[in-house]
Amino acid sequence: MRGIYTPVTQIRRQVFVEIAKAAFEGAPAATLEEIPYRIIPGEVPTYRDSVFKERAIIGERVRLGLGLPVRGAGEQGSITGDLDLARLNEKFYEGPLVNVIPFACNACEEKAYMVTDQCQGCLAHPCVSVCPVKAISIVNGRSQIDKSKCIKCGRCKDACPYSAIVKAERPCAAACGVDAIESDYLGRASINHDKCVSCGQCLVSCPFAAIADKSQIFQLVEALKAPGEVIAAIAPSFVGQFGPMATPERVKKALLDLGFSGVYEVAIGADLGAVEEAHHYAHKVATGEEPYFATSCCPSWSVMAKRDFPTVAPYVSSALTPMVATARIVKKEHPDAQVVFVGPCAAKKLEAARRSVRSDVDFVITFEELMGMFVAKGIEFGENEPVEMTDATSGGRGYAVAGGVADAIGNCIRELYPELEVKIDRAEGLKNCKKMLALAKAGKRNGYLMEGMACPGGCVAGAGTILPIPKAATAVKQFQEAAKEKSPTQSAYHEADE
Amino acid sequence: MKRLSVEICVCTKCVMNGAMDIIEAVEGLKKLKTQLRLNSQVDIVTRSFCSGADVCPLVCVNGERMEHSNSETVMAKIISLTSKDVK
Repeated sequence: MRGIYTPVTQIRRQVFVEIAKAAFEGAPAATLEEIPYRIIPGEVPTYRDSVFKERAIIGERVRLGLGLPVRGAGEQGSITGDLDLARLNEKFYEGPLVNVIPFACNACEEKAYMVTDQCQGCLAHPCVSVCPVKAISIVNGRSQIDKSKCIKCGRCKDACPYSAIVKAERPCAAACGVDAIESDYLGRASINHDKCVSCGQCLVSCPFAAIADKSQIFQLVEALKAPGEVIAAIAPSFVGQFGPMATPERVKKALLDLGFSGVYEVAIGADLGAVEEAHHYAHKVATGEEPYFATSCCPSWSVMAKRDFPTVAPYVSSALTPMVATARIVKKEHPDAQVVFVGPCAAKKLEAARRSVRSDVDFVITFEELMGMFVAKGIEFGENEPVEMTDATSGGRGYAVAGGVADAIGNCIRELYPELEVKIDRAEGLKNCKKMLALAKAGKRNGYLMEGMACPGGCVAGAGTILPIPKAATAVKQFQEAAKEKSPTQSAYHEADE
Repeated sequence: MKRLSVEICVCTKCVMNGAMDIIEAVEGLKKLKTQLRLNSQVDIVTRSFCSGADVCPLVCVNGERMEHSNSETVMAKIISLTSKDVK
């Protein structure tokens, strides 16, 4: 599903456009109430069994898009009944960030093994032989699994020579690297928010569009309309996201046309962080004072590492994340400005809500949400004049792809401490990140710099991206090559930072 | 070898509505040249030409407009045109 445009993607983006349009036009609450009817017109259902249900689900998506809490089917009220809570020109956020719309959930069966029509009823039937609990028997010439006995070990699946036994798993649960997807009393998915790290992979993996995160588009547009500076800090994975016409320079102009008073590359903060972490590695890890060192720029990975691996937690970088470092530079240069992080990531919304970060970053929106704002405002990239974008180095821009963070830090170490040998390990996807952390905990990653990325592929594969992942990675590479300075050590912002 | 021109509008609205995925699908089709017996060269052109009308995503295959297109309809169109050539 990830990286394929489906009706689920379409609905999600339509909601963003409609909310942004209503906000830009200063439309009354009644206009927001009409959104489900604009997205699902007529009397015939398109996606589900009832047009009323389709609209009710869109209604909850609108609420989440406004930052309001999701409701169950038993709760009475209009979509915008509590809109006054959210009608602000400053950040409005009440957890949880990622939500299941209960009545949109298909209540897919939790993990199960099933025999398909591919079963040949073969003479050998190794599935029966390998089952440790005698859950498989041959009925009418075919294998049959007794679910009451099955312990879901998967041995039968591995043994079948015809690949006739399949593992069925909820897509949201399969995508979740921290086992945060549970079931409610009706068997529908529910999120255990004590476990969830808000990476957003479940929301892009649910084929029933039942999971969505809260947005700040509405409040951001209000801020853009109000007097005062609003400055965008854009993550390096933005290149290519808005189509082939949207060169980095044209994206910058489009942001200015949207009402932002300035645009900074978040790769500036990455440059600063890479150098700081290179020094840290040389002074702490290479000397043996600390066993290893883990990067911190991906919030889902660092939250998971600190929470689930307490012995590793002290060695997760304490350097400012690129988002926060850049926001602080912006606030230093523009003390009264509101800073908006524009990125690929749902989890950054949560990072920005932390007490220590709240005053640095005022809003977080994803590329998908920004695209909704561009469409709502009728901004075309082919028509605007490009504005130069030369803030960051190649190394900082490389943070957008998996491996890029470790590359940038590793190159800085080699440049600043040529005598040191750098040992690097990295993992993409939270399940793989956990394996790497387990190795570190067991003492098998001593002396290592470890990079973790919650999204497989890195930031270019974040939940709020638009472009297919391989294309996005190529675009980042080209953007890196276009940088005037190659090494983060050459960033002009080091002096400003001192 | 014949040439098939696939023009894909990449205005803001078309991109938001899946134009990039259509490009990906058409490029992917080229890799199935043998299985699909494609005997035409597929040329992909990206530009903004839908003029903001409510037709997004807009694709033109050999000059024929396909409004509200998607990967599925564009791939089917390309295959139908090239399979005619095979006959």
